Amino acid sequence: MTASAIDRCEVPAGPSPEPGRSVPAPLYVVCSPNRQVGKTMLARLLVEHYMADARPVAAFDLSDEAPGLADFLTRHVTIPSIQDTRGQVRFFDGLIETANIPKIIDLSHREFANFFTIVDKIGLFEEAQRRAIEPLILFLIDPSPVAAKAYGLLRRRFAGVSLLPVRNLTVAKGLPYCASFPHASRLVVSLEIAMLGPAARTLVEREKFSFLNLAKQASPYSDMSARTRAELDAWFRRARFQFRELELSLIREQILTALQSDLCA
Amino acid sequence: MARPAVILVGADKGGVGKTTVSRTLLDYFASRKITTRAFDTECPKGTLKRFHPGITDVVDVTSVSDQMKIFDTVETSGAQVTLIDIRAGLMTPTLEALRNIGFIDMTKRGDLAFAVFHILGPSIASLDEIAETSKFLLDARYFLVKNFINNTTFFDWDEGTYHSYFNKIPHAVEVVVPKLSEMACEKVEISAVPFATFISDKTASGQPAGYSFVLRGYVRHWLNGVFADYDRVRLTDVLESPDSAKSPRSNAKVAELSPQRASS
Repeated sequence: MTASAIDRCEVPAGPSPEPGRSVPAPLYVVCSPNRQVGKTMLARLLVEHYMADARPVAAFDLSDEAPGLADFLTRHVTIPSIQDTRGQVRFFDGLIETANIPKIIDLSHREFANFFTIVDKIGLFEEAQRRAIEPLILFLIDPSPVAAKAYGLLRRRFAGVSLLPVRNLTVAKGLPYCASFPHASRLVVSLEIAMLGPAARTLVEREKFSFLNLAKQASPYSDMSARTRAELDAWFRRARFQFRELELSLIREQILTALQSDLCA
Repeated sequence: MARPAVILVGADKGGVGKTTVSRTLLDYFASRKITTRAFDTECPKGTLKRFHPGITDVVDVTSVSDQMKIFDTVETSGAQVTLIDIRAGLMTPTLEALRNIGFIDMTKRGDLAFAVFHILGPSIASLDEIAETSKFLLDARYFLVKNFINNTTFFDWDEGTYHSYFNKIPHAVEVVVPKLSEMACEKVEISAVPFATFISDKTASGQPAGYSFVLRGYVRHWLNGVFADYDRVRLTDVLESPDSAKSPRSNAKVAELSPQRASS
């Protein structure tokens, strides 16, 4: 995949929040310092989760290996560049300009260090939180020491931000969280990408595969076996259930925070 | 006990970032609630005045009347710090003038604090200037500033040669101004506001400015680094009693601006 710089990071306009109500919109950063751990798969699932409910969502492909997020969801994904200051201004300024749209970043392992260094320098997460945008770092765990070290670094550097370990069972089956990947968030949620059988996996990894089109039984899925279809349906539903739990947990935290500030007032 | 201080910021060559350093100093003292006034010697238009118009006067430092305006009012102006941004090439003549009017003697007696920020250029000739300048500064705080804001490389300097000059002036202290993104530099220049005002996204009149969050973040990070170095060399000790005028280089605790503070 060639990353073509786009002049503007286009974030779709969404409805304004109701007066007096500001549920923070999530900013998901899907990441790992290693490749082939399921980052793009998780990012795809998240994007399609919002699309399935016809909710606006903005997705950004910062991966530099094909196939990337933009290869699967061409019309819904922007490919920014953060290699120079100009690109960083376009991308990061855009991220915080619209507060009420969930945003998903599929972060390449090669950009991992650069991205978080910039974010730390400019104070992106603190500014996002001030603007009712909730940063959520979704870290795909794996058994490598590099992953454990990177997780520890993120935990120390971004102590006020939710850092959620995600287990992709294809890569990290049986890998416990607690020692190397402690849950670092007030959100009570556990995220896992289940394994897929070989046939289903081959289908999902094809470019342009879409769970929404699968649900619509649109071509080229109309001839899919019932068994594979059922497996993919269940897999997608399981992922969506976890994402809904995550969203509900965010709302719960917002309510608790509002109640606490009312009590203190 | 605090005493008024005069700070000269100068270089014998142009384009080394002298006014940039002056601007950081004004922001630093403001952040520490130290009252400051400034004199911009780029007569007649001024360069520093563009960024700090409320506290800066443009003067001709070679004229006696303007020298009176500056130095006759150091103790009566109400400002704890008088900062003078000396035009390129005028530092040595200004120091000579200060010696001739007895100002250097006043600082020796401890009536006033005196500090010089000597902005070094990348050429080896810049090191020769140190020896020339230091003759006047036996009882003053002498800060040698390496300004990397423009990505200057001090490659002309052999480490051994550099240290040989540095070691001749035991009370000289090195200060480093790190590099700042060119785009951020340009934006602050165009905005014509102090660094702290740019960071807090305000215009000169205090209205919301709409500057890029990313560029403000870079400027904040950079300025925090500069302030940390000023803390490290205990710059505010300049205002203290004569006993602390010649403190050796020491590592002070870093005080860092949080985005919250910088934005307020």
